Amino acid sequence: MMERLATNARVVAALGRRSVIQTLRRPQLAAPLILFPTALLAIQTAGAGNAVNLPQFPPVDNFLSFMLAGAIVQAVMMTGNSGAIAFAIDIEMGFTDRLFAAPISRYAVVLGRLVATAVLGGIIAVYFIVLGLIFGASLNEGLLAALWITILVAAAALAFGSIGAAIALRTNSASVVQGIFPLVFVILFLSDAFFPANLMLDPAGWVAEYNPLSFVVNGIREPIIAGWSLDTQLKAIASVIGIGIFGLTLCRYALIGRVRRGV
Amino acid sequence: MHGCVTGLRGRSGPPVILRDTVAAIETQQLAREFEGGIVAVDGVDLEVAEGEIYGFLGPNGAGKTTTVRMLTTLLQPTGGRANVAGFDVAQDPGAVRRKIGVALQEAALDPLMTGRELLQLQATLHGIHKKESQERGQWLLDRVGLTLAADRRVGTYSGGMRRRLDLASALIHRPEVLFLDEPTTGLDPVSRRAIWEEVRKLNAEGNTVFLTTQYLEEADQLADRVGIISGGKLVAEGTPTALKADVGKPHLELCLVEQAGKEARAEVVLAKFGRPMPARDGTLMVELEHGTSEVGPIVVALNQAGLDVESLDLVQPTLDDVFVHKTGQHLEGSQQAEAVAE
Amino acid sequence: MVLALVRRALNEIFRVPGAAIPGILAPAIFFLGLTSVFGSLTLLPGFDTHSYQSFLIPVSMLQGAGFTGAATGVNLARDIEQGWFDRLLAAPAPRPVLLAGLVLSASLRSLLPATFLLAVGFAVGVHWPGLLGLLLALFLVMGMAVVAATWGTSLAFRFKTQSAAPLMQIGMLLAVLTTTAYAPQNLLTGWLQTVAKYNPVTQVVDAARQGFVGTVTWSDTWPGLLTLVGLAALLSFFALRGMHRMTA
Repeated sequence: MMERLATNARVVAALGRRSVIQTLRRPQLAAPLILFPTALLAIQTAGAGNAVNLPQFPPVDNFLSFMLAGAIVQAVMMTGNSGAIAFAIDIEMGFTDRLFAAPISRYAVVLGRLVATAVLGGIIAVYFIVLGLIFGASLNEGLLAALWITILVAAAALAFGSIGAAIALRTNSASVVQGIFPLVFVILFLSDAFFPANLMLDPAGWVAEYNPLSFVVNGIREPIIAGWSLDTQLKAIASVIGIGIFGLTLCRYALIGRVRRGV
Repeated sequence: MHGCVTGLRGRSGPPVILRDTVAAIETQQLAREFEGGIVAVDGVDLEVAEGEIYGFLGPNGAGKTTTVRMLTTLLQPTGGRANVAGFDVAQDPGAVRRKIGVALQEAALDPLMTGRELLQLQATLHGIHKKESQERGQWLLDRVGLTLAADRRVGTYSGGMRRRLDLASALIHRPEVLFLDEPTTGLDPVSRRAIWEEVRKLNAEGNTVFLTTQYLEEADQLADRVGIISGGKLVAEGTPTALKADVGKPHLELCLVEQAGKEARAEVVLAKFGRPMPARDGTLMVELEHGTSEVGPIVVALNQAGLDVESLDLVQPTLDDVFVHKTGQHLEGSQQAEAVAE
Repeated sequence: MVLALVRRALNEIFRVPGAAIPGILAPAIFFLGLTSVFGSLTLLPGFDTHSYQSFLIPVSMLQGAGFTGAATGVNLARDIEQGWFDRLLAAPAPRPVLLAGLVLSASLRSLLPATFLLAVGFAVGVHWPGLLGLLLALFLVMGMAVVAATWGTSLAFRFKTQSAAPLMQIGMLLAVLTTTAYAPQNLLTGWLQTVAKYNPVTQVVDAARQGFVGTVTWSDTWPGLLTLVGLAALLSFFALRGMHRMTA
């Protein structure tokens, strides 16, 4: 049992490593995943920065501190989408068949891809935290906050990535996965990634209050702009776990369907 | 197929399948139906002995790849059963995967990885530890002639190089049974022959090889036994020689040096060796009763009758003739294979 | 010749509608999203309208034009990569005519997302800009598409590969967003306040916005028109030079 766990762990690590290297070896595709959210962060912070003067805006040092969480989540979701596209390409060209024909768990194949997304998510979190600190944001809870945010973001990346992976497994089509990309932004707009939900216009504001993504964003945002609260963090963790379970369940059914349907 | 008289390849005969040994691959009424009622494989019974090269021949869409995917546990059968290396593909797929090496149709290789990295990954997937995998990987790279290209990205490899890397990655864990799905499709003749040579070497080392192909010459050259599939059904099975003998005997086509009355005299001579066939445009033809060993004596007998042979051609039945005999249609790609092979 | 090229470009929309749909839908999706998210900004003193939808819609229309024009560059890069463009270069048509065909098709295509966006905008309460305001906005959209197309084609001739697509798209995105896109000039903060002041595209945004938030005046219109003419001329020069260099 332990032997099998160790083997699977090695396999997951090897496949994860391959996926990370794959991303880094195509900088022309990887760079926009970081640069675009960075540019948008800069523009939105400067363009809507006076929003901090609105009554009912949460107390923050500056708008950048508020926006950081949104930029992180946006970059992570774009990276997850990009990872799902790469997974779909692997499926289309038959590379995953090579993996499925090996004596490893099918779930290890999917987990390898998701672990890579988690690692990249963690890197993105660190990047934006450092960027934010350079340009005037402040971490209310200090280094511990930075560590916690990195872990939470990595977990969220894995959870979101599992949905993309399930779509890739079910559709075998990179262009379908790519077509979902606008949906990523719809979900972001329907959360409080970029603005407090109580100040958004309904019905988007109403959706944002209950959107699980909002709980995740608030879990990331809270240690930056305020102190810890168990309630917020527990909601964030529960959301990540819930999204992850949902996505991994979809993956499971997609994998079972593959062997039955032959595609 | 037209061939030079001296160019025939002798074969020592197929391995005997002993009923009380475990076959490397065994299927019973193996079937696969897809959504919409499409029956891709329709009750295939076949048996491949250990150490055999089994050629699975058929046109596009015949069910070759579907069969391979079931045997390599990538697809569940919807009927029948199959055993590979002693394990049931549906009940014990994990055990099957430990025993097989697979080189699939598309040579699916990550273009961003180097050859060495790919072999390393494949070794990890089979639980081989780092040191051993590095040594084995290097040995395989040397063996398939990719030593110099090992640290280059696969995206820079030619088609032939990719196939060789694919073969190497299928061998990293020393499988008992090797599945090659159309291993030379799309390759130039030189690369094709290099792959054939490699397959022969692997077989000589004891590997069982299940090879699918749409090329007649490939099946003829490599396989100990051939199974011909069409429309999801196995329509013929046996050694290439036996299959071809079933549909007809070889015949000899002769052109004689111009002489008065040559045809009449020649027919008398030829009738002693086999059934004369109607002449065509001055070319005499005789069906050889006892095979190609009669060619020499025929030429001698003609000379003794004062007839000089200007040219001769030995025409063998082909596997395409077998296919036509069984299905009424030609194998697709056979003409293409002929052109490429030449 | 020009019309033939325009016809070919328009054909692509009808033959591969799946590819065109994101281009038509995306501006509307972003418009709805951004107005929902940032709509409360109008509560800030200094915002001269209470309808953020009316404030933002010209930005979304220009963004749509930017993407349409960038897509022209991407398609051209694809044609160059696949060798189709060589046939055009080998034809006796003058180079400016070839370029005109490409950019004209972009300006016509830009009306599709703009029209869809307006329909969505009016449905969610965007102020009616008056006929003059509407025509002006659409004219500026077409002009922006021309600018974006010349930008995209310059890059296509320079790099000759579809991998330059992100550069084409992000260039246009930044050009439109580093203006008074999110808020009026006086409410912008930090570096953006300075950049927006000197970004010529700000003139285009403000000109297109007039009817939606107030009345159209010539003094607020001509800077936008001049900007588009100037940018189009400059980028056309680079595009033509790039085209000449393909056969040099």
